[in-house]
This record gives sequence, C-alpha cells and structure tokens, in this order.
Amino acid sequence: MTKAVFKKGWWVPWSFLALPLAVYLIWVYIPIIQSFGYAFTKRDSLLYKTVYIGFDNFARMFQDKQFFVALKNNLVWLLYFVLVPIPLGLFIAMLFNNSFKGNRIYKTLFYLPMTLSFAIIGTIWMWIYNPDAGFLNMILRSTGLSDLARPWLGDSRFMTGALVAVGVWRQVPYIMILYLAGLQSVPVELVEAALIDGASWWQRFTRVILPVLAPATIVSITISIIDSLRAFDIIYVMTNTKARAAEVLASYMYTSSFQYQDYGYGSAIAVIQFLITLSFILVYINRTLKAEQESGL
Amino acid sequence: MFNEKSKRRVLKAGFYLLSTALVAFWLIPLVLAFFTSVKSMDEIMGTGAMWAFPKSWRFDNYAKVWSSIGMGRYVLNTIFITVPSVLGTLVLSSLAAFALAFYGFKLNRMILVMFIAGMLIPFQMLMIPVFRFTDSIGLMNTRIGVILFHIAFQLGFCTFFLRNFFRQVPFSLVEAPRIDGASDFRIYWQIIMPLAKPSLAALAVLEFTWIWNDLLWSLVLLQSDRLKPVTLGLANMQGEFISYYNMTASGSIIAMILPLVFFLAFQRYFVSGMTVGAVKG
Amino acid sequence: MKTAIKLFAVAVIALVVLGACAPAGDKELIINSYMSDEKPKAVFQGIVDAFQKANPAIKVTVNTIAHEQYKTQLASWLTSSSAPDVVTWFAGYRMQAFAEKGLLEPIDTVFPGGDISKEFPAAFKVASSYQGKVYFMPQSWYWWAVYYNKDVFAKYNLTPPKTWDEFMKVCEVLKANGVAPIAVGAKDTWTTGGWFDLLDSAVNGGDFHAQLTGGKVAYTDPKVKKSLGIIAELAQKGYFIDNATSLSWQESVKPLAEGKAGMYLMGQFIMDTVPAETRGSIDFFPFPIYGGNDKYTVDTPTDGFMLPAKAKNKDAAKKFLAFLATKEQQQAFCDPLGRLAANINVPAPNPEAVRGLAMVKGASFAAQFYDRDAPEEMAAKGLNAILDIMAKPANLDTILADLDKERVRIYTK
Repeated sequence: MTKAVFKKGWWVPWSFLALPLAVYLIWVYIPIIQSFGYAFTKRDSLLYKTVYIGFDNFARMFQDKQFFVALKNNLVWLLYFVLVPIPLGLFIAMLFNNSFKGNRIYKTLFYLPMTLSFAIIGTIWMWIYNPDAGFLNMILRSTGLSDLARPWLGDSRFMTGALVAVGVWRQVPYIMILYLAGLQSVPVELVEAALIDGASWWQRFTRVILPVLAPATIVSITISIIDSLRAFDIIYVMTNTKARAAEVLASYMYTSSFQYQDYGYGSAIAVIQFLITLSFILVYINRTLKAEQESGL
Repeated sequence: MFNEKSKRRVLKAGFYLLSTALVAFWLIPLVLAFFTSVKSMDEIMGTGAMWAFPKSWRFDNYAKVWSSIGMGRYVLNTIFITVPSVLGTLVLSSLAAFALAFYGFKLNRMILVMFIAGMLIPFQMLMIPVFRFTDSIGLMNTRIGVILFHIAFQLGFCTFFLRNFFRQVPFSLVEAPRIDGASDFRIYWQIIMPLAKPSLAALAVLEFTWIWNDLLWSLVLLQSDRLKPVTLGLANMQGEFISYYNMTASGSIIAMILPLVFFLAFQRYFVSGMTVGAVKG
Repeated sequence: MKTAIKLFAVAVIALVVLGACAPAGDKELIINSYMSDEKPKAVFQGIVDAFQKANPAIKVTVNTIAHEQYKTQLASWLTSSSAPDVVTWFAGYRMQAFAEKGLLEPIDTVFPGGDISKEFPAAFKVASSYQGKVYFMPQSWYWWAVYYNKDVFAKYNLTPPKTWDEFMKVCEVLKANGVAPIAVGAKDTWTTGGWFDLLDSAVNGGDFHAQLTGGKVAYTDPKVKKSLGIIAELAQKGYFIDNATSLSWQESVKPLAEGKAGMYLMGQFIMDTVPAETRGSIDFFPFPIYGGNDKYTVDTPTDGFMLPAKAKNKDAAKKFLAFLATKEQQQAFCDPLGRLAANINVPAPNPEAVRGLAMVKGASFAAQFYDRDAPEEMAAKGLNAILDIMAKPANLDTILADLDKERVRIYTK
C-alpha cells in the first residue's frame, strides 16, 4: 500500500511508532472516548449523578431547532473554507515564491495575521465591524455605499458571513505556509518559467507544479475541512457564543456543556460533529490514498 | 534574449505591484490595531473614528502595558511552555511520520486515519476529561502537565503533515544508504530529517504560533498566576482595561512579537532557489 | 552568527529546563478570585496584604481569573485534588448547588462571635446556608437600579420617573430627540436578567416572581406573558440602544456617559467603569412602580467567599475568612468601591450608598438575581429567551412556549 523501503521485520516500523502512538492514545483518545461515553448519560459538568439514558440525547438533538441552525452554519463555514483560502493561499505562495528582492518581507508581512491569538483577532475585528465608529461602515459611508453599512454582528443574516470572513482572513496565510513548504521541491525557475511562458502556463501549472504540490494540497484540504467543522474561537470571542443565529456545532456543544450545565447533551453533539467530520475526511483521504497508490508515489 | 529580459522586467513590476496591493489589503486590520495602540484614549473617543491616523504618537502605552500587567513574567512563562512543546512535538511526530511514510505494514492506513481522527473533535469538549486525567496523575498546575498535553494534541496534525511531505523525498536518496547497510534510525536521522528541513521549519513555525497563542489548556491546567502565559494575562487585562482600547491593542502587539521573530528566524528555509540543484539564472 | 544562534538556543533550553522544574509549592494559602477589574482587584490585594502582614507564617497567593472563564472552571477546581483554599463566589442557589454535592466545607465558626447571626442580617444567613449549615462568607452586596445621565435629563426637562407610565414618557421624549432611551450590553447575556427580575416582580409582585424563578410557575402563564411582553413592547418601539447584542456591558457604559443614551438598568458596579470626568453626571433611581402597586422592587446580589471541601490548607483558609468577616476588613473592601458590606456594623460608605441602602429598605421585594435564584441551565435559557424577545418581539408566544418546555425538562431531572 505504501512504498515499502524496508522489510527487515515487522517490529521496525512499530519501534518508531511506539512512543508517539502511546502518547497519542493516552492523552487524546482516552479523553475522547470518555467524552463519547458521557453522550449516553444525563449529567451536569460536575459529572455527578450518572444516569444512563441510552440514545435519548440523540433523539432530543434531532428535534432541536438550534442544533440544525448550528449544523447549517457549519456547512457555510466548510464551503467557504474549502473554496476561498486554498486557491488564494496557493496563488499567494506562488506569487511570493520567487527570486526577486524583498520576497521575504512580503512573506513575513503576510504571515502576520497568523501570529495573533483568536482573542486578539476577535477584538480587532470587532473594531472593524463596530456599527458606528467601525472601519468597514466608515468606508462604505464615505464611498457612497452607505446603504450597505449595517450592524455586521448585530444582524442575524450577516453574522455568520462576517465571522467566516474573519476565519478566512486568518486561514489564507496558514495555507500559504503549507504551500510555501510544498513549493520547496519545485525549482524556482520552473515557477518563473511557467509564469513567463504564457502559452503553456496552464499546462505547466497543472502538469508540473500541481502534482509536486499534492502533499501540500492534501494537508490543506484536510485541515480546512477539520478547521471549518470545529470552528469555535472566533465565534466565542466575537459573540460570546450567545448570538444564537451564528452558532456552530462546537459553540453549541460548549454552551450546552458549560453554560447550560448539560454535559451529556454537549457530548452527544460532539459525537455527531465527530461523525460528520469523519465521513467528509474518510471520503477525501480514501480517494487521495488510492491515487497515491496508483501513481506509485 | 532581449525579449526574455523585458519579460522579466514586466514580471518583476507586476510582482511588486500585486504583492504590495495584496499585503496592504490584508494587513488593514493590523494597521488599525497599531494606530489604536499609539493613541491616547481621549483621541480614540474624541474623534469618533477609531481607525483614523494618530495625531500624536503615544508609544508610552507599550511601556504602561508592559509594567502594569507584568508582561515580562507572562512572556517568560510562555517561552517555558512553548519551546519544549514544539521540540517534543517535532521529534515524536517525525518518528511516527517516518514509520507511516516508508514502511508497508498491515495497519499503516488505519493508524494514519487514527492520527487524523484525533483532530476532529473540538478540544473544548475534552476540557473536563483532560482536567481529570492531569489531576489524577498529579500534574495539575505544573508546566510539564501543559507541555505534555500540547505535544499529544499536536501529534495528529504534525504526523499527518510530515508523513505527506516525507513521501516527496526522492526514493533514490533513501535507497542508496540502505544498500550501504545504514540502520533504519540512521536513515531517519541523517537522511530524511535533513532533507525534510523546509517542511520541518514550516511545521515548527506553525506549531510555535499555535502553542504560543493557546489559551484553553493553560486555563484548564494552570491556576497559579505565577505560571500563566501571555494569553491568560491578556484575557485578564481585557477585564481590567476593557474600555481602554489602546492598552488592549498595544498588549496584543507585544504578544505577537515573539512568534514573528520565530518566523523570521525560520523563514530562510521557505526560500526557494536554496534547495538542492537549483541553478541561479 | 551561527554560534550566536547556538548560544541563544542553549540559553533558552537551560532556562526552560529550570523553569519547567520550578516546584509549585503547596504549603501556601491559595485564593482564586474573579475580581479581575482594575479597582476591585487592587482593593482586594490591599486586604490580602494586610492579612499577610498579620500572619507572616502563611504564604498567601492570589490567582486572578477573568470572570467569564472563572465561571467555567470553578466546578473543575472544586472537584480536583488540588483545589484552591478559598474561592470567590455568589450567595444563593449557585452556592447551594455546590454545597448539595458535598464540595464545600461548612464555615459556621469563622464569623465574629462564632455565629453568623451576631453581625450579619438574617437575609444573608439564609442566602449563605444549606440545610442548616453556613457555607458562604458574604462580603459585599449592591443594588441594581436605573442609572441615568443627569445632563441629558436636564437638557430635555425630564425628571426621574416614579411610575411605569412616566418611564415610558421619558423614553418617548429621549427617542424623539435622537437619544437612545435605554442602554443594554446584551453581549453579556446576564445583563438582561435585571430586566427580567425587576419587570416581572414589578408587574406580578415578588411572591409570584420567586415562584417563577423557583420553577413552580409556567413561563406560558399569562402573567409572565404580560411582564415579558413589556420587553417586547420596548423593543418594538425601538427604545433599546441599537446593536445591543454586539456590545459588552462595559462598552454600553460609554454611550450613557457620553449622553448618547439616557438610561441603563445596571448594578452599582457600573460606577467602577464610568470615566472619572463624567461620574458627576451619572445618578440612579429605583425601577419604576408598575400599575396600582405602591412600592418598587430591587435586585441585591451578594458576593463572597467559600471554602472548598478538598482544600489543602483549611486552617489558614478559615483564618482568612474570619479576617474577611470582621467589621474592619469588610469596611476596607466596601469603602473604596462604594458597595454595601454584609456586616451590619459597617456604615454605608458614601452618600450614594446611603441612598442605595435606603432604596433597598424601602422595597417591597428583593431578589438575588435571575442567574443566582434559578438553576444555571434554566437561567441561561431564560436569558437567551429575553434576548430573542428583544430581537424578535413578534415571536413572544413561541419563545415563551419553547422556554417552558425547557423548564419542564430541567426541573424533572
């Protein structure tokens, strides 16, 4: 299935895997499994009173309007996270990946949004979205587009869009880094030649560069699916998770568990969120692994 | 020849124009934050436009924030947590990625999927199990406890990332030493790791940034003010100075300096043309 | 250059190893506090310093955690083997929920004279006890009232309204003059709890309101529909400030101080955030009297301290709590902050507090606060429902019906 370098003994790969796998199982999988177990119980976040209630939490979820609001918003996040940052990040990485003077400065500047914590990103963007003194509405008003000015975070129709925009703003530099790392195996002349030689540009791009970038693309798409479906911090910081129109699954499970003290229900949402993400990922990973096998890479 | 040259010139001009425009657009929020950080509160409130160009530059805001919340200690605490976490993550994940990238064994694909699946759940949900686990092994309120968690939680992404990038290494480079009888560990350490430098550097930068900016695990696992990182310091500060936008902004800018330095130090590995076999034209 | 980088790396690693090994001492008195606002934090630190001076053998450490985060973490701390020794918290239901699970240590003996009744009013004893034992050391309390901008009122010839009808007229005038009548910082949902408590108790009386927060009355009751319908009416008339849901409570203070908003229903701690130069123009009046009633109602939340059952240093904790319960230390906390002390021997700290105290004494009913009188989940859902009513006043009936379904589910747990 993968290119086998060594076949000395079955224990060789396991000796490399033993330590990381042990750490991962103990610290990540045990909490996850515990948390999933709670989904079949009725309990508050103190984890006292354990009552097994079977699938009741799940049954309740499918009648819960708020759950579907969150699910729908997550799909919006997913759509934008796959469609915008990946092509844009790739484009910017290719743009900056040259031998011109100053390209390092551009890379550094463009990376800046990634160095901020979500709390800070949220605070800064709240100043931009501020309905009265905020930058966005000011620009709209001064350019004669005052009809478009609105309370971005106060109107349930625009909330999710406004929040996704912040997510995308931070995600593009991230994807850029992944592609910059990938582009290291592409000689710079190839990229420049591809840019100069207008006629075969597209061909060179699709036949030479994209295949070399496959690892970066696989990581980018996988990560974008995961990040969009577990989006939390931006929503938490900018709406305190209380703007229910903008809620996503992660914020709803947080609110349920810690604000409503309904830990069993929160865990049930986590299980569903996990299964949804897993199904997206499995479809994608299976396809790429198959392609990998066929191309013999 | 002439044609080539002028083409290159046009390309160059295009690059600078487009890059400058893009960066300028993307950094608007940061420029606004910077403006806010050097204004006095009177100016921010008085003009009614928080985004305007500062009339007077008050760089002492930075000094004020630094001393009033004791930023120095927070920065040190964050370094103590971030550096070992990044190192540990890179070592462990590269071991796992090496096994998954180069060995054909039965459970290979399943283990890869397992590493990915561990990332799928929003970590907020694990707050309580993680708290209980750390508590039970007596690592509550210690840096080691936080560091171990960071390492474990980043393993999924890093293993997946490195596994994909390791596979780009040309097969011949791995095969030759094998014939010479090099041990598996030597191939990992002396062949693959040096060749994977760009991806390791990219990963180190990303991990440094994330762990530096983590709030959740420090909140859950550390109680002592003595041990808390910058993010928690800033969170407390926002309680204290919530309506002092200038203080919040300058604190934020201070907090982003170290990840930025780290990026600058590592970015030379992202620069193309330095890789093997590139010919300068 | 390279050697410099290496040296730097070695230095960092050495620091890290040293730092990571630093022991977290456990022979100290650890206090976790949510007082992260500048002023209360400094005042509390002063009291801790005084205690430290008087008890040099005890090493006191205060950990300050921002309010919202504190609330999500307290339950974890109380159940952990490394529980802090003293924690700040709220009187009433929120404390009793922990006492019920055996997570708190009784502290009957830490009060002056060994009995809470000696220097603390009976109402505090009730709010601090669970099944006959005291688990809570009340420190300070404050009132909720309608804060208003005197300059704005003077400009439009308005006087503080006494009745609900007068209140609505004030709103009308302010609105007509382009001033937002009512500031709300609904990004912090709890702020709307004041509206819920005071409107419902004003319209339906204190007894009914206590039954409602106790879960004994349906939210679909016509009386509830009437009181919460008033919130819908205020929203429909556009009396709440624009974008209320995207403003934190502190951010909403600004329009009030600047005269862009006229009134703000808020706790006394609002004065901690009003800028010094506009303090003189902010004042308060009791929540208006509704209909034919003769008295108004108030909210009086009480803050204080608890001793976790799993604390390591209980003796020192009790010493510290006893210190905090004294008249002197209660005064030291309340005087600079303008709050009222729980200890009956402490006089009201300033003329404003004298008026606040008189206001509370003249009320027909005093609640703690919605999210302190009702179980957390119920209050959280109820507060969300109020936000929904503000956003979509026309949906009042469905919102209340949904809320009552939650009530039934929560109380049959």
